[in-house]
Amino acid sequence: MHPQLTLLMELQDLRGQLRELEDGGESETMEQEHFQLDPEQARSQLALTITDLEATLSTPIRLRYQRILPTRGRVVVPVINGVCYGCFVSIPTATAGDSDVHQDLQSCESCGRFIYVLP
Amino acid sequence: MKLRELFTPESVKLTLQSEAKDDILKELIELLHLDEKSEAILFKTLKRRENLGSTGIGKGIAIPHCRSLVVNELRLAYGRKSEGVEFNAIDDEPVHNFFLIVAPPLEVSNQYLPVLGKVAQFAKDPDIPKKLSDLSDPSEFLALLEERAP
Repeated sequence: MHPQLTLLMELQDLRGQLRELEDGGESETMEQEHFQLDPEQARSQLALTITDLEATLSTPIRLRYQRILPTRGRVVVPVINGVCYGCFVSIPTATAGDSDVHQDLQSCESCGRFIYVLP
Repeated sequence: MKLRELFTPESVKLTLQSEAKDDILKELIELLHLDEKSEAILFKTLKRRENLGSTGIGKGIAIPHCRSLVVNELRLAYGRKSEGVEFNAIDDEPVHNFFLIVAPPLEVSNQYLPVLGKVAQFAKDPDIPKKLSDLSDPSEFLALLEERAP
């Protein structure tokens, strides 16, 4: 797998965790109730980890990441059954079905998000 | 959806071999049968969640959980380590029973949090730790879920 894709996926997972804790909803309540997590401390720690990890992206990828993030929210999206789960447009079979798809960093031609093809 | 429906015999291991927290997480991840790269990404995500605060909820139970891009549906696994493992649980006691929960970032059915809550409720039932320690086969674990978990 392309190392930058790995980093982007890790970032996406971290942003997901942060978003859930920022919602102040069921997730935050559950983390407090069952796991005694301090949401504020957890949010700060996650934000720091995200900043640190973003700094390890190569410059061109980081620039693309920063461009996509504010408008699209999710920078990396899965492709399931040939469909981009960012914009729900079909990805060309040549891309979606390529076993080496993750050796290069690929984007959805429609929405521009980085894609991760789930088997 | 009942908890029983989210487990298979292949996702249950009653004899975890690992002795350390990180290795336990890796062994649990293996029960999901992902590819190597996905396992590595999931491990990092779970580890980062653990760094925020242990998912060891006390009474020998831990529920490592996260959302991750590497799965396309809600996935659960259960592992048991009879001897117990130091997991920084909130009661500082060793953990014997591990419930792994991994959900995709987006779920149409939005089951992740309800399932997390159900597992926590199930695990906190005073009878459950003893019943889990008495299990001798994954099918008995599934039967216990059928009987005691909503």
